[in-house]
Amino acid sequence: MGDTLLLIPAFDEATSLPEVLRRAERAAPDVPVVVVDDGSRDDTARVARAHGARVLRHPYNLGYGAALQTGYKYALRRGFRFLVQMDADGQHDPAQVPRLLEPLRAGDCDLVIGSRFLERSGYRMSFPMRAGREFFRLLARLLGVDVTDPTSGFQAMNRDVLALYVGDFFPSDFPDVDVLLMARRGGARVREIPVRMSEGARRSRIHGGVRILYYPYKMLLSLWAASARPSASGGRAPEERYDEPRAD
Amino acid sequence: MNHELIELRELMLTAPGSGATRIVALIVSLVLLAVVLGLVRRRKLREEFTPIWVAVAFGIAIVGVNSDVLRGLARAIGAWTVSSTVFFLGEVFLVAICLNYAVRLSQASVHIKNLAQEVALLRARVDDLEQTSEAPHGG
Repeated sequence: MGDTLLLIPAFDEATSLPEVLRRAERAAPDVPVVVVDDGSRDDTARVARAHGARVLRHPYNLGYGAALQTGYKYALRRGFRFLVQMDADGQHDPAQVPRLLEPLRAGDCDLVIGSRFLERSGYRMSFPMRAGREFFRLLARLLGVDVTDPTSGFQAMNRDVLALYVGDFFPSDFPDVDVLLMARRGGARVREIPVRMSEGARRSRIHGGVRILYYPYKMLLSLWAASARPSASGGRAPEERYDEPRAD
Repeated sequence: MNHELIELRELMLTAPGSGATRIVALIVSLVLLAVVLGLVRRRKLREEFTPIWVAVAFGIAIVGVNSDVLRGLARAIGAWTVSSTVFFLGEVFLVAICLNYAVRLSQASVHIKNLAQEVALLRARVDDLEQTSEAPHGG
């Protein structure tokens, strides 16, 4: 699977990364791993390198979305055909990476989302989180995006989606259903598949700072803006037009 | 509006401005201009950000010297006094300039994010090149 990159954004994840990287190595030994260290204050970069990952270090903390986007730019420039992203806190099981890639390789879709909620997986959420999720799911469905788990950090995509996601519209903080809407409007075919996620894992610190009042406000505004914009391709960064030689 | 109120409004709008008000307006205008030029001289303010403030300084001087301009504006927007017109226009200006700076800040934050990502990607590329050049040559 030399044409696939596994992307793990990380912020202060030196404790959980070794196990995540070990499991990734066992599950997909021939898939190179890139850890985007989003300005961590701990040993995240050193730990990731020690476990064989390629490390891209932000000079300072930019946010979860920006960390993902750095990985997308890397994959695009290095000529990877597919990218799988997962969180560094251990809630995603690397053993399911091949399952995420199957529909992409078959050419059935451009973006695969690993959903906690497509099947009864036993994943529990608090009532406010569940209510918020249902509200935004309904709103997204009205706008043409029907997904059960838009906030899932466990996703796989091809180069067409990568080319969309390197645009300036991609949020620096937390990409959500607004990004999926832009992907759909950019022509991406989206599919969900059920995955198991560990709720026992510590909530990734890269998600920290998401304020409960700001989130619904930002989502409503982003959804409106995404539906009002002409298309996602308008904001594509000009520097993404060339490929660098592969080094992995 | 009854006749007395119309007369009262006209009285308030045609009341002659005092000489002291004109002097204060001119001083404020000159001080604003001096502060802007001083900031540019000390490289605290870039030249491309100055036109709006120089225009504000000249605007204050013009309406300070010629109060007919303000009276005309007050009549046009239906205000009763020249002073309330000044406050209203000042607030509109402040909201507009804050919005303008918010837009500039948003653009700058996207540029800063792109540059930081570029730093990370180029650093990885430099590492690759260094490893390639440091690798022992065969033969």
